[in-house]
Amino acid sequence: MEPGHALVDREIVITSAMADAYVRAVGDECTLYAEEGLVPPMAVAALVMAEAMDAVSLPAGTVHTGQELTFSRPVAMGAAVRCSAVVAANSVRRGTRFLTLDLRGALEGEAAVEGRAALAVPEADE
Amino acid sequence: MSIAPETLQPVERRITQEQLVQYADASGDHNPLHLDEEFARGTPYGRTIAHGMLVLALVSELMTRSFGEAWLRGGRLKTRFRAPVFPGDTVRAAGTLKASDEGSATYEVAVSNQDGENVITGDVSVALNA
Repeated sequence: MEPGHALVDREIVITSAMADAYVRAVGDECTLYAEEGLVPPMAVAALVMAEAMDAVSLPAGTVHTGQELTFSRPVAMGAAVRCSAVVAANSVRRGTRFLTLDLRGALEGEAAVEGRAALAVPEADE
Repeated sequence: MSIAPETLQPVERRITQEQLVQYADASGDHNPLHLDEEFARGTPYGRTIAHGMLVLALVSELMTRSFGEAWLRGGRLKTRFRAPVFPGDTVRAAGTLKASDEGSATYEVAVSNQDGENVITGDVSVALNA
């Protein structure tokens, strides 16, 4: 996968049930989301990340080593989010592949969540 | 003059294996490193570890508690995952003001475990007028 390779680009509706399940899982005690009907921004980021991981079929021992995120717009429960991910860098050093992905979750063409994930991917033994 | 507090009210949470299962279902990240004890025993970690994004959620919660919707409209984070978090660990996210002006505030943040080891470090900033 060369830099610039698009991994995923699809629209997902984030339902209130999905947002609630996320909030329960992380144990987030902020009342803002329920009160305002908003999706936690990290839930959007996690969704985009999961879509990217599914698309690239990374081996099971893959670990996340760094994360950058920018939150620009709140996402309302029930909103359709355009999830996209692109390979930003891909290299191998000392038996480990270092993969960097650019992630984006957009509402009506405008970014709500953008970021860059750094992953360490174990190379298969030959 | 900035309205940014010098320190952020810490967020502390005990991570459980049940939570990892819930998070996998909620996020769609079913990497067996987080879920399968037998698989995880064969990795350098020796047992399951928490999803990085699950632990990072504490940093976002820290910022949402302090800045509300401004964090959702104008938040940025840049973090590194420095050590694994295991089920049973208690992690604590905290932040200290690095710089601020009328328009924004930047904090140095860390998530540490019960032994005081930093598992996540980085910087976060928020646009105060967002």
